[in-house]
Amino acid sequence: MPALLPDRPEDAVAHLLELLDLREVGQAHVTVSGAPGEQETELGEWDTTVFVAPSQRQPHGRVFGGQVLAQSLVAAARTVEAIGGVERPVHSLHAYFVRPGDADHPIRFLVERSRDGGSFSVRRVQAVQYGKPILSMGVSFQAPADGLEHQDPMPPVPDPEDVPTLQEALGAELDERAAQFFAATARPIELRHVEGNVYLSPSKRQVARQSVWIRARAELPDDPVIHAAVLAYASDYPLLEPVLRRHGIAWGDRRLRPASLDHAMWFHRPVRADQWTLYQMSSPSAQGGRGLGVGRMYAADGTLVVSVAQEGMLRLKETDSLG
Amino acid sequence: MADNDTRAVMGRPEDYTVDGLLPHLALAEGPSRGAVRVFSGESQLQRYRRTFGGQLMAQALVAAGRTVEGSSSDRLVHSVHTTFLAGGDDARPVDLLVEPLADGRSFSVRRVRVEQDGALLATLQLSFQAASEGMEHADPMPDVPGPEGVPDVASALAGVPEPYAVVTLLHGPIELRHVEGNLYSGAPQPNPSQSVWLKAREALPDDPLVHAAYLLYASDYSILEPALRAHGIAWSDPRLRQASLDHAMWFHRAGRADEWVLHSLHSPSGSGGRGLGMGRMYAADGRLLASVAQEGMLRLKT
Repeated sequence: MPALLPDRPEDAVAHLLELLDLREVGQAHVTVSGAPGEQETELGEWDTTVFVAPSQRQPHGRVFGGQVLAQSLVAAARTVEAIGGVERPVHSLHAYFVRPGDADHPIRFLVERSRDGGSFSVRRVQAVQYGKPILSMGVSFQAPADGLEHQDPMPPVPDPEDVPTLQEALGAELDERAAQFFAATARPIELRHVEGNVYLSPSKRQVARQSVWIRARAELPDDPVIHAAVLAYASDYPLLEPVLRRHGIAWGDRRLRPASLDHAMWFHRPVRADQWTLYQMSSPSAQGGRGLGVGRMYAADGTLVVSVAQEGMLRLKETDSLG
Repeated sequence: MADNDTRAVMGRPEDYTVDGLLPHLALAEGPSRGAVRVFSGESQLQRYRRTFGGQLMAQALVAAGRTVEGSSSDRLVHSVHTTFLAGGDDARPVDLLVEPLADGRSFSVRRVRVEQDGALLATLQLSFQAASEGMEHADPMPDVPGPEGVPDVASALAGVPEPYAVVTLLHGPIELRHVEGNLYSGAPQPNPSQSVWLKAREALPDDPLVHAAYLLYASDYSILEPALRAHGIAWSDPRLRQASLDHAMWFHRAGRADEWVLHSLHSPSGSGGRGLGMGRMYAADGRLLASVAQEGMLRLKT
């Protein structure tokens, strides 16, 4: 059986951390440009802090959405200062993927300060390539506060140690071509699908929900921003799978044309992305070429740490014709 | 933040008549500024003297929709994400600055800045899609009593001493019928879930954008209520400090806001002074129309 991973899985994590180590390249004054011939005015101009970072290589040449989410979150967080010695952790983000990204070209991240208030700081990030946004994101940060405490309990699922690894689960299905794909994408995140994965073969049970244990393949530094960013990165991998599972479709289906449209994430409590986290997902609806995935992440002790939602475009082309 | 100070004292006579939403959706367009198209709309007077978040979102949706209509009238809104930044003055109009993010073959994406006298109140991102086909499924509607079996707000609020609750619910653009009882007239039984039937009080024109704007507006009334209900807290609790932080809504299927819609709500989590509310809207025939999520600041002053 071909191997799924490089000899050292921690290299994939080290590479992800490099991608999240954004380089600040200074301040920029951004102008919303008018159509040709139109007069530009002072409106639509604002100051931004600019960061730059490369991308993971991808077999299809397109930037992985989770990577831009994670990088944009780090960019926003790097502009949020502790106020009165009190750090402001991220509590929510809302993003739109507006264009496909080129994985062989660096991305610039333009961060705009929307608000610095008594309790909350809000940023807007635009990830830009070739002068156009590929992602537009709002991120909110909050100084720690007390309030009403409640959470839904974690559903009963097998422990991660009792769920097969990807290598074990794919087993004989794994031909050389599929193995090359997985090795090329060298995932820094381990995913263990409780109900079986849908990479090469569709789900036997056509239900619109699933549970996946996830964690980074190596220990991460004790920076809360990195842990939140790595979970944002990981959240984008399987969130539309409940839609595929419900309709008996595998990722490897050649007719499938998937694209993430948006992404929302709420960080309820502190997270550690290098500890086993239960990612429970469902799809309330699919229609009109789109499907909605909603998910929750629980720490292994049952603490609800994250809620997440994403709409994706999921169309099946009936022919192999281009376009 | 759109602080909702429930201690606000009533005074203005006009506070007792909350008018319909349609006049506020009739936006005026001013000169464009570069690629940015600029609209303005009148605010609704509110009992707590701040602009209502639902109003800002509904107006931003209509403004963004008008910039999509020009190129392709068949692109319907399918998602809206809002960040609330500051409370506005309910006696002054708002400006809606629509910035084009992308116009692709299937999707048009817009960003809207909602401003008042140059101050940013909210930013929204919205996406519109040309009609398309694909996989179809939907969670079934929960089994709840129909709207006719639920007490209307007038009888539910009879004898409630605070007039503003009655004003908002009896004279606002949306009629609300809480299946498990409302959170205005007293502390509810603790429960992180609830269902609300809602409907516009007037017949609406056959414009899908107007119906989407009404549902967006209506969603903001009760989306945080399951977080309060989880703790048995009423809106009138004098300790309560609350503000909407964000809002997300996905429009799955076309629906009519002037017919009964079931808003089924749940709060998965409350923590750190915040609470998350998640909702689904169903037409009375069981079709799933929309999914909603909002995080709010929820604190009890002691």
